[in-house]
Amino acid sequence: MTSLPRSQHIVASGLIAAVGVTIAYISYTQEPADAYVFPRLISSVFAVLAIWTFVKAVLGRTKVGNGISGEAMLRMAPGLVVTLVYVFWAAKALGFYTATTIAFFILVSLYDPAPHRQLKTWAKRIAITAGFMLVMYGLFAQLLNVFTPREILF
Amino acid sequence: MKHWIAGAALALAAMTGPALADGHASYPERPIMMMVSYGAGGATDFQARIVTMTAGNEDALGMPIAILNRPGAGGRVGWNWFATEAEADGYTLGAYNVPHFIAQSIEGGVSYSTDDFEPIANWGADPAVFVVGADSDFNSMADVVAYAKENPGGLTFSGAGLFVGHHIAALQLEKAAGVKLAYIPNNAGGAGAMRAVIAGEVLGGVNNLSDAFRAQAAGNVKILGVFDLERNAFLPDVPTMKEQGFDIDNASVNFRGVMVPKGTPQGVIDRLAEVVPTMFENARVQKRMEAGGSPMHIMTRDEVLAMWAARQKTLEALLAGL
Amino acid sequence: MGGLDFLFYMGDVFTPINFGLLLLGTIGGLILGATPGLSPTMAVALLIPFTFQLEPQQGLILLGAAYTSTVAGGAVSAILLKIPGAPANIATTLDGHTMATKGEGAKALQLSFLASAVGGLFGVFLLIFLTPVLAQWALAFGPSHLFWLAILGVTVIGTLDSSSVVKGLLAGCIGLWLATIGFDDIMGAQRFIFHPSVSGGINVIPALIGLFAIPQVITMFTKGRSSDDAEIISVKRHPIRLAFVEVLRRKTALTIGTITGSIIGLIPGVGGQIAGLVAYDQSKKFSRESEKFGTGHSEGVIAAESANNAMVGPSLVPLLTLSIPGSPTAAVLLGGLLIHGIFPGPDLFMNYPQVAWTFIDSMLIGQILMCIFGLYIAGLAARVARVPHAVMAAVVLGLAVFGSYSVQNSMGDVYVMASLGVGMYFLERFGFSAAPLVLGLILGPIAEANFIQGSMIANATVGMGSYFFTGWLNWLLILIVLASVSYSVWMEVAQRRYTTKDDAVAKEEAMS
Repeated sequence: MTSLPRSQHIVASGLIAAVGVTIAYISYTQEPADAYVFPRLISSVFAVLAIWTFVKAVLGRTKVGNGISGEAMLRMAPGLVVTLVYVFWAAKALGFYTATTIAFFILVSLYDPAPHRQLKTWAKRIAITAGFMLVMYGLFAQLLNVFTPREILF
Repeated sequence: MKHWIAGAALALAAMTGPALADGHASYPERPIMMMVSYGAGGATDFQARIVTMTAGNEDALGMPIAILNRPGAGGRVGWNWFATEAEADGYTLGAYNVPHFIAQSIEGGVSYSTDDFEPIANWGADPAVFVVGADSDFNSMADVVAYAKENPGGLTFSGAGLFVGHHIAALQLEKAAGVKLAYIPNNAGGAGAMRAVIAGEVLGGVNNLSDAFRAQAAGNVKILGVFDLERNAFLPDVPTMKEQGFDIDNASVNFRGVMVPKGTPQGVIDRLAEVVPTMFENARVQKRMEAGGSPMHIMTRDEVLAMWAARQKTLEALLAGL
Repeated sequence: MGGLDFLFYMGDVFTPINFGLLLLGTIGGLILGATPGLSPTMAVALLIPFTFQLEPQQGLILLGAAYTSTVAGGAVSAILLKIPGAPANIATTLDGHTMATKGEGAKALQLSFLASAVGGLFGVFLLIFLTPVLAQWALAFGPSHLFWLAILGVTVIGTLDSSSVVKGLLAGCIGLWLATIGFDDIMGAQRFIFHPSVSGGINVIPALIGLFAIPQVITMFTKGRSSDDAEIISVKRHPIRLAFVEVLRRKTALTIGTITGSIIGLIPGVGGQIAGLVAYDQSKKFSRESEKFGTGHSEGVIAAESANNAMVGPSLVPLLTLSIPGSPTAAVLLGGLLIHGIFPGPDLFMNYPQVAWTFIDSMLIGQILMCIFGLYIAGLAARVARVPHAVMAAVVLGLAVFGSYSVQNSMGDVYVMASLGVGMYFLERFGFSAAPLVLGLILGPIAEANFIQGSMIANATVGMGSYFFTGWLNWLLILIVLASVSYSVWMEVAQRRYTTKDDAVAKEEAMS
């Protein structure tokens, strides 16, 4: 486990420990006390375990977890950005079907290894997107009657 | 592509614009959703599904009503969502349970009150009853109260939660009999509270008349009294609390009906208030409700408005001491 | 209810209309079950309106068949897409999806359907022959017992799909804490509401979808635009005959799964959700090859899926005998009965034998049909693993968004799903896993509500000490909790595992 980036583990477990201590603090200070009996119990265990993990990380004794390499970060970044924009903004603002069509198409095009220069590649990507959207529309809108947000088109 | 989408959006907006302005003559144009703040299979959910089943008929709304469950915390989760997030466009209806939501709004900690909702019509009234296990030593409310007097705070009895009809009934009983009882709210609703009675985990329980009626038919419980002004047609032999000497009115009776969020266009409210009660009167609906052991009580919008206002007053007085 | 009456009414299942409805319910149930976000409860509730038009008997055939096959259908998306359709299928993802990524999807699906059928049939037979005995057992669990049972579940957390007991427990604590967000179920107080999306609490199904599906989507992103030929998985064919042999060879897992599922399925309010996970954990502890669990081991799939379906029959015992629905799905079925004026209870089999027995028979035949149909499509469905990762990532993301929205028609659920999912990806990179977190999320409310109810009853009667610590059932459960904890400690001390799950999979592949 020499490849393991120790600093990453320190940051990650530090963040978790911070969350643990924060919720423990909230549990012990909020009212009504009756409603916080159980959260107090959990958050205490949570905080202790999180601090333990943090101390182990600082001492460099963390044994599991591979961390994230810079290369992986770079590769996932565009996909993650598209995902977050799609979920947190586009799905509601543009309507589910429009947003999903766009996000699906962008993601497939971003990560499809086929060469971008050929017309055939694009035709295939469009066909896959259309096929997927057709299945989603049939399943959720027609069969299950789920009324998703529809801002643009359908 | 972007221009094309924007253009289409404009065109759509232009098309829908006039439709909204012309007094909702064409409402409803698409299926309607009705939020039920209890889980699928509960009494409210089950009845809501039956009373809305004819919505798609031509003489009713002409569009189906789909039920959507948002359960949690005795109904608070669903009604909070309904008051704060539901769109007031007439396509989002909600089922109300009185006295539950009114009692919760008086207790506080929620973002709704009677002012945030517009009633449409009432379909049912389910009184609370007091049940004990089939092999229990209690045979009347007098036995129960006598036990409670000997063991102050030691008579455990279950109900569906805090600040719901069952809890109101429990509070009324404590007040009228002048005793201290141990009300145990159940997290699994009426079904869980009934299970606790049958399993003998508690000495008694307050439960819905419709569920208690079934449990009694199955030989699992005895029903000792009804928290209502008069005896119920389903249980003609069970005396009311008043008959047994306790001054308890019908404040805990669980009224179920349909409402919309405040801000829904008046035209839509009027149309719904006119059509929805006729849906409840449909013979098929009545037959199914009767078969399921669910007492019906149809009230129009004006009657419900009066009922809500009256309940608000009673409950404020009852809960003031807490 | 008498022993062999069910045979007498078997013929009713095979009239053309009834059998057609049975087929429809089975196949429809498989499709609905495989759709992310549609739990068996939701699927059965969706079918209720269709039964308005049918005779009571026919309506219940449809519902019975759908209930059986939605539970099994959830395994399809769990194995192929790593999206557990319902909490019941969490344990199936652990080994099932790993098998699918190794090209053994067909085998995993066949094993899951066969194990489902074995467990399911056993469960229904229990319902037929032992209902009166089981009804007493279902009533035996009061608040104190359910509390200890939840604690037992928590002790499973440490050893579940995690290479470090401390990190497993920590993930469990995160889950338990997430469960306390929102209104508390008994008092109605609002807790930890830091964003309006969580004001109604965190719904288990969207959380489940996010925690399992999103990390997988992001992992596919990290592969970039690679066109490595080695990346393309060759989907291995797997003859059905070998699947039968395999299931029969793994007797321990099959037995543990079936029995655990049947017992846990009976316990009202807990059953279905944790049966698979508990069975998975138990058969891992009893297996001679326990180190292979989590690396695509057949025993994992068999134990989880046999438990899942074994719980279907027993979960209906409280409903059919006491008229109390023991699970959310049973509550929906109760509605289906009441609409036709049929009151379940001890007299049900006397008053409406035609309806009651045909309903039970439809679940028996439904199990078999589900198995046959499942085996038939397994080879085809397994080809999903060959879908290029670019398309797969987009498909899983789209399904996750639609699926989590459709649970309550709520955008908030979609935001919760995505936030938890992205967070989980990073947690996984640092040695945490999703399964213990989800288990915490499920068990939190059970433990809390029963603790509070129990202490209320205890304070009004015998006092906390004797309420929670006396009685043979309490003692038995405490004993099992202690045994489970000791086992985990022993595992941590004696068998320190220094590898991550990824490494274990790699090692496994190198060996084979």
